[in-house]
Amino acid sequence: MTATRVTATPTPRAPARAPHRRPAGWALPLRERIAPYAYIAPFFVLFGVFGLIPFLFTFYIALFEWNPIGDQTFTGFDNFVRMLGDARFWNATRNTVSIWLLSTVPQLLVALVLAHVLNHARLRFALFFRMSILVPYITSVAATAIVFAQMFDRDYGLLNWLLGLVGIGSIDFVQSVWGSHVMIAVMVAWRWFGYTTLLYLASLQAVPRDLYEAASIDGAGGWAQFRHITVPSLRPVIIFTVVTSTIGGLQIFTEPLLVARTTNLTCGPVRQCQTLTLFLYEQGFGQYQFGYGAAIGVALFVMIILVAAVNYLLSARIRGA
Amino acid sequence: MKLRISPSLALFAAAALAAVTACSPGSSSGGGGDPNVFEFWSFSGIDQQRDVDDYMRAHPEIRIELTEVGSTTETAQALTTALAGGKVPDLVLIQGDDLPKFVQQPQNFHDLREFGADEIKGDYLDWVMEQAVAQGGEIIGIPTDVGGLAVAYRKDLFAEAGLPTDREEVSQMWSTWDDFIEVGKRYKEATGKAFLDNVPTSVFFQAVNQVSQKYYDDAGNPIYDRNPEVKAAFDLALRAIEADISARISFGSDGWNAALPRGDFAVVSAPSWLLDQIRRYAPDTAGKWDVARIPGGAGNWGGSYLAIPARAQNPQAAWNYIREMQSPEHQLQHFLDVGALPTTPSVYDDPQLTGKRDEFFSGAPTGEIYTQALLGLKPFHMGPDTGTIGTEFLNALTNVEQGSGDPATAWDDAVRNIRTAIGA
Repeated sequence: MTATRVTATPTPRAPARAPHRRPAGWALPLRERIAPYAYIAPFFVLFGVFGLIPFLFTFYIALFEWNPIGDQTFTGFDNFVRMLGDARFWNATRNTVSIWLLSTVPQLLVALVLAHVLNHARLRFALFFRMSILVPYITSVAATAIVFAQMFDRDYGLLNWLLGLVGIGSIDFVQSVWGSHVMIAVMVAWRWFGYTTLLYLASLQAVPRDLYEAASIDGAGGWAQFRHITVPSLRPVIIFTVVTSTIGGLQIFTEPLLVARTTNLTCGPVRQCQTLTLFLYEQGFGQYQFGYGAAIGVALFVMIILVAAVNYLLSARIRGA
Repeated sequence: MKLRISPSLALFAAAALAAVTACSPGSSSGGGGDPNVFEFWSFSGIDQQRDVDDYMRAHPEIRIELTEVGSTTETAQALTTALAGGKVPDLVLIQGDDLPKFVQQPQNFHDLREFGADEIKGDYLDWVMEQAVAQGGEIIGIPTDVGGLAVAYRKDLFAEAGLPTDREEVSQMWSTWDDFIEVGKRYKEATGKAFLDNVPTSVFFQAVNQVSQKYYDDAGNPIYDRNPEVKAAFDLALRAIEADISARISFGSDGWNAALPRGDFAVVSAPSWLLDQIRRYAPDTAGKWDVARIPGGAGNWGGSYLAIPARAQNPQAAWNYIREMQSPEHQLQHFLDVGALPTTPSVYDDPQLTGKRDEFFSGAPTGEIYTQALLGLKPFHMGPDTGTIGTEFLNALTNVEQGSGDPATAWDDAVRNIRTAIGA
């Protein structure tokens, strides 16, 4: 085999030319510059029309006395002044916070425990359970409210009948403040616990089984495994569900609307279970005062922003911990 | 570089286009350009379906799309939303309590005089017609029925309690409201069961509809807090609550529908349109009921109006329906079928009406009883917030009845709430 003689002869070079670079920024042809915006435009157009513009318009309407089928007169901040002095507004705020806490906290706790149970390696019929807990979530809200209202009825409801069997007298759920809050909280929690459970369950799937096995070998029981493995692994998801439940829980509307239909839009003769959104709707569509309703909407928005901010600060602190 | 249209991009564009066109208004059913189709919104419990079927049978080329939106207030709210910028029906049934707010904004409706309402307005009771006339004289609605007032009672339960059962005797027995409360106490003592369904609607709402001036004076000023007649009705209700004769079940609630067939209350104040509800919710009690005169004599509760929104696509067809179905003859027919009293006094002497005996109510002459209740009526002026004021009084009394309210402060609470609500 002949050794190839490697010479250092320089290879003839091509004539010097500016290196070929892809055009970028303003140099791109028009079509390519617009294409990304065109792809995301549908979402933003819809969001703008159905989300952003109505949202901004609410702030505008709040400055008026606005009859939906009549006149609109500019009144400045009168609506806000009136709102802050209105006992019904503060009553609705208290109801909203109370119903939010009563529905969110137990729901998340139950979902956490259920997710831990459903994640168990040797659970029989796991798929059936995982699918069936989502059924409340897909049930019509109106149907749920009507059926639950009947179940909680003072004289003829199923729940009071069961309570009567164990000797407790009948409770008027709709009339009492706490009773109505519990009733609505049960409805909301029943609807959402399945969704939250599946969310936690999905996150738990990412937790390696060996952790649980190792813990069992070390002698940790179910409760210890729950506290030391499940909950810490789920921290990000728990924070997420707390934020979304907060935003949803502060805006509960359909259940109070449908539960006490004979009192029209006040959810009880002294507004026992009237939430802020229902109060907003009552003022807007019941009393034809869209301006006042919009002011309540602005107040609700501020409230939700505040709570979301607190949530964010706390979760940043927890994540950093 | 040529822009390659990839299949996925084409599909996406087509889907977006379809979605946008599907959202455009006017593509859904109801009216459109067809003069023989129109949309009709009614509330439930008034059986407009029967009238609609009769009309469609008489005019086979016409199609009416009837929607029972919900309760009277839900229908009014849906109408408000539609008027504020959505798709309006061609014809809508508005209950009397909800009407004032709409009459205050007459630009949202067709002035029915342009269809010839002036010719027929004389057919109707003038105080009923007056409710539907706006400040500028526009006629907004045509009345369909009027309530009248009476009391429906269970004869068999009265017999068990040792009370008389003949309707004339019963009417004499409770000729005043205080006598009514006494009868209630006797019933409660004898049987231990509740006498009436609830005080706010069966006592207060009836008594306060028997006044000569209600929440507004004839000039249109609110006088609800100063009117001694209203205060008297309120105090009467407080006395009735104290007598503990009611089942404390809200009218129209699920509990009411459940209690009715079980006989958990023996008496309910019944305008003519309520008789049909008793018939429907307690069919097995047929023949056990009877109807007596209301304590205090005359009065009216309820009544509805048909109106045509301004943006209706087919107002002429809607007017033809009104013209035909609200004529005196058809209102009489509606009464014979369903029981709601006509608003056309020309048929009050008609032998079919006076001779009507309702078998469900032991052959009670409902035509006579309700027209008698209307005869002595002194019409009062209804203002724009009559509904709201009435609701606040009702809520205050319900609160007392349910045990959470203090009767001593109930009146002041109600007045304060009304002031907050209507700002006057």
